[in-house]
Amino acid sequence: MTSVVRYTKLWLSLAKFSLLGEMAFRGNFLVKVVVELLWLGILLLFNFTVFQQTTNIADWNVNQYLFFIGCYFAMGGLIETLFLDNCNQFADLVRSGDLDFFLLRPIDEQFLVSCKHIDWSCAPNFLLGVCVMIYALWVSDWPFDGLKVFGFCVLFTSGAVLAYGFLLILTSASVWLMRNQSLFEMWWLFSMLMRYPREIFNGPWATPTGLFFSFVVPIMLVTNVPANVMIKSLEPWWLTWYALGSAVVVAWISRRIFKASLRRYRSASS
Amino acid sequence: MDSVRKYFKILRISLVERLVYRADFFLTTFFRFLPLITTFLLWEAIYAGANKDDQADFEIATFTKDKMIAYLLLVQISRMFSSMPGLSTGIAREIRDGNLKKYLLQPIDMLTYLIAFRGAHKIAYIATTALPYALLFLLFHNVFDGFPGPLTLLAYFASLLLAFLIGFFFEACIGIAGFWFMEVTSLMYIINIFTFFVSGQMFPLELLEQYPYVTTVLDYLPFQYLAYFPAMVFLEKKQGVDLLFGLGVEACWAIALFLLSRWMYRLGLKHYSAFGG
Repeated sequence: MTSVVRYTKLWLSLAKFSLLGEMAFRGNFLVKVVVELLWLGILLLFNFTVFQQTTNIADWNVNQYLFFIGCYFAMGGLIETLFLDNCNQFADLVRSGDLDFFLLRPIDEQFLVSCKHIDWSCAPNFLLGVCVMIYALWVSDWPFDGLKVFGFCVLFTSGAVLAYGFLLILTSASVWLMRNQSLFEMWWLFSMLMRYPREIFNGPWATPTGLFFSFVVPIMLVTNVPANVMIKSLEPWWLTWYALGSAVVVAWISRRIFKASLRRYRSASS
Repeated sequence: MDSVRKYFKILRISLVERLVYRADFFLTTFFRFLPLITTFLLWEAIYAGANKDDQADFEIATFTKDKMIAYLLLVQISRMFSSMPGLSTGIAREIRDGNLKKYLLQPIDMLTYLIAFRGAHKIAYIATTALPYALLFLLFHNVFDGFPGPLTLLAYFASLLLAFLIGFFFEACIGIAGFWFMEVTSLMYIINIFTFFVSGQMFPLELLEQYPYVTTVLDYLPFQYLAYFPAMVFLEKKQGVDLLFGLGVEACWAIALFLLSRWMYRLGLKHYSAFGG
């Protein structure tokens, strides 16, 4: 319990420190927000252009799909705010040998490596995603259901844990690869699987691929399950339990892999 | 002759450097196929949703489902030639750090050096991705109506080469703007997102035909020549006058951006103070 309090206090201090750093470059902060607004604008434009040609995509109508986009954007924003920038720097720490300074501190290495810096400029993405989700619920006359909101919050959190686990696995790979300077790009490409409803994986080779990325490497469950629960239905109920369970398993596996990567680290350049 | 040998050596060294971190390179290459696959599936779902009567030749904005998949595949080839990751930010960093003076102290021209360097990266990338791309094209060979004629192929390769030049000199211009702005990363992010949409990477620009003034303006801007135009040439959707007009505008942009980059570079050097380094 004391260690939870200690790490919470530490994280809050790091968050405050990151915010101070961000505010020193307000212009840069604003530009980053504009970039993210543009990206969301393009996603929505694509959505509206496509829905002028059809009424549904894999059983998701325009409002449901809009909610899905909001969920994806909020999830992406959360991961980028909390972890992506930290993980992106890990390869450099390994190559330069600066990881030594992290290992010498009396703090959990995984915490320090993956949570040290909070990228506040990505935080508006999370809020924008939430706004899109609320708008989608509003235009689809969604009847308020407290249980669904609770289920969504739990599954969204478990989705974030799942995504963090995969990001940590990719990050750890830099110890073996010596350089994954393209982690940012790799994550963007890999997280593309979170961007679409899993029902689009339909066909002779697509169905097995969809099943693989839902149950073996369950990256597609990150956004699909919470969005489904909120705007469509709780069915199939076992999938929600599977998503929760896989978040725990992936979090555990990713920690093992991260620890293994640290054992492999040779501090070569220091 | 010596000059050619010099830049050829740069090309060879860059090629070796590119292949040092092979595992990273191959992993990224593998991951690059994921968005492509998901995009195909998304369009399959869009066509399935729109084509309720299951018509064989159902079209969205003059594209059948097969043609759409073929277009999205060909756009990847276009971007293979025209995308220049890190070029502008690299130039701006060298200006900011003062490292640019290495080009001024040695008998080497920065833009020619960088074009040789990029050429090497493109060759390495094309060579190492040839096999996975060949497999992908083989897998989706039925979406194509066979190979186009030799003249179309010639026009296609010309459009790809010009796409490389437009992509290079466009990014170089933005990087050279670093003489005045110092940091161009944020500007580049904005331009990249804008380009992603208007170059036709997301979907064929025909889908915007309800806004004819937008498509007309895009015809005269360089962006569509980075992805959309070469793909349309291969699909033989640009023929006759349309094809010549497109190639003409593309060539004009390549020349204009080349001249602009050289002019900006000369102007920038007068402004340059060689701080840092």
